[in-house]
Amino acid sequence: MQDARRLQLEEMIARTALGDRAAFDALYEATSAKLHAVCLSVLKDRPEAEETLQEVYIKIWQSAERYASNGLSPMTWLITIARNRAIDRLRARSSRPVTAPAEAAAHVASGEPGPEAATIRAQERRLLDECLAQLAEQQAGAVRAVYLEGATYADLAEREGKPINTVRSWLRRSLLRLKDCVSQ
Amino acid sequence: MTDETQLTPLEEDEALAAELALGLLDGDEARDAVARLSSDAGFAQSVRDWQERLAGLADRLTPVMAPARARQRIRETLGHGTAPLSQPASGPARAWWRGPFGALLGLVAVAAVAAFLWLPGQLPTTPTTPAPDYQAQLVTEDQAVRVAARLAGSEMEIALEQGAVSEGRDYEIWWIRPDGSAPISIGLVPHSGSARMTLPASLDPSEGIRIALSDEPAGGSPTGQATGPVVAIADLTRL
Repeated sequence: MQDARRLQLEEMIARTALGDRAAFDALYEATSAKLHAVCLSVLKDRPEAEETLQEVYIKIWQSAERYASNGLSPMTWLITIARNRAIDRLRARSSRPVTAPAEAAAHVASGEPGPEAATIRAQERRLLDECLAQLAEQQAGAVRAVYLEGATYADLAEREGKPINTVRSWLRRSLLRLKDCVSQ
Repeated sequence: MTDETQLTPLEEDEALAAELALGLLDGDEARDAVARLSSDAGFAQSVRDWQERLAGLADRLTPVMAPARARQRIRETLGHGTAPLSQPASGPARAWWRGPFGALLGLVAVAAVAAFLWLPGQLPTTPTTPAPDYQAQLVTEDQAVRVAARLAGSEMEIALEQGAVSEGRDYEIWWIRPDGSAPISIGLVPHSGSARMTLPASLDPSEGIRIALSDEPAGGSPTGQATGPVVAIADLTRL
């Protein structure tokens, strides 16, 4: 079921890379509501999220040919593009320096064969909620705020009333614990 | 900082990969980490693993349909000039009015007129809609506002048939499955006349589905979940 969807999306992306507009349309149909939700979650502003969504699909059309070699599952690739765009816009709003594009990682060819790694990752994803629940609520909340709302260390420090370095070191620890838990 | 915050070099790398994936780095640290992606395959893989792992957080977000104009603008920007309201995702088949007109301007004008003439009440005659048709009539308790939702295949038409949307507000339309899962936003009620949208493939019309309207700030719920009161709710019924 999950695999069938993954294959479908991969096919849509592969055909989009060849300039197939119908495939691109189908990809939009299958994924835009989710990517729109990602943009909304970060930006909390409907018109801005809508504009960002447009930029995201333009970017997807333009970089689909680079998808095949990066080893990410299709939804992760799409979500990552949407999230990064939305965060760029969020930071531009507060004239914060735009952080490094994590997308760069998605452009480095991966030597890792797809399906097997994908199965392992699918398992990790299933464990994610469980493992987040094992973190202290404050820490799990911070991970979510960073990923889903684009919070920075400065934001977390302000929220917690603690120095940035302190917040950074406990978030790093939380992330490492999360990784240990999901990949156990 | 005490010693317990000291990470091993391996942990340092892993944490850095997570921070890069999350966009938490800036300045020199960010530049160095990005540069490392192309020279250190193991590090690049760690970053991708983090992206994969964290993307699971987005699984829990309720999908929110974007208005049809978003897709239209994407097409315009990419030069995939498809006329508004023509059948999307139906492959290379050309809309009938496209053939004889070469000039883009003419195309847009003709398409606009065609769409205008083609819209009212003629939905069921579109050849691409073999699926059964459904409708829902949404009426507020005081009967002041009436909205009709009509479905032909995956094409949905939303019409404001009576009443008006208040200044600075919008009615948001929600798709509610019988299984109790979170309502899915499918768009906003137009301030006048009707609007058309294509349902995502994941939404299958059937009896048992309910459609609701909630009263939201202009532009719709900022969170993707209903924030205002639900003013009307109705079953989707087969026509």
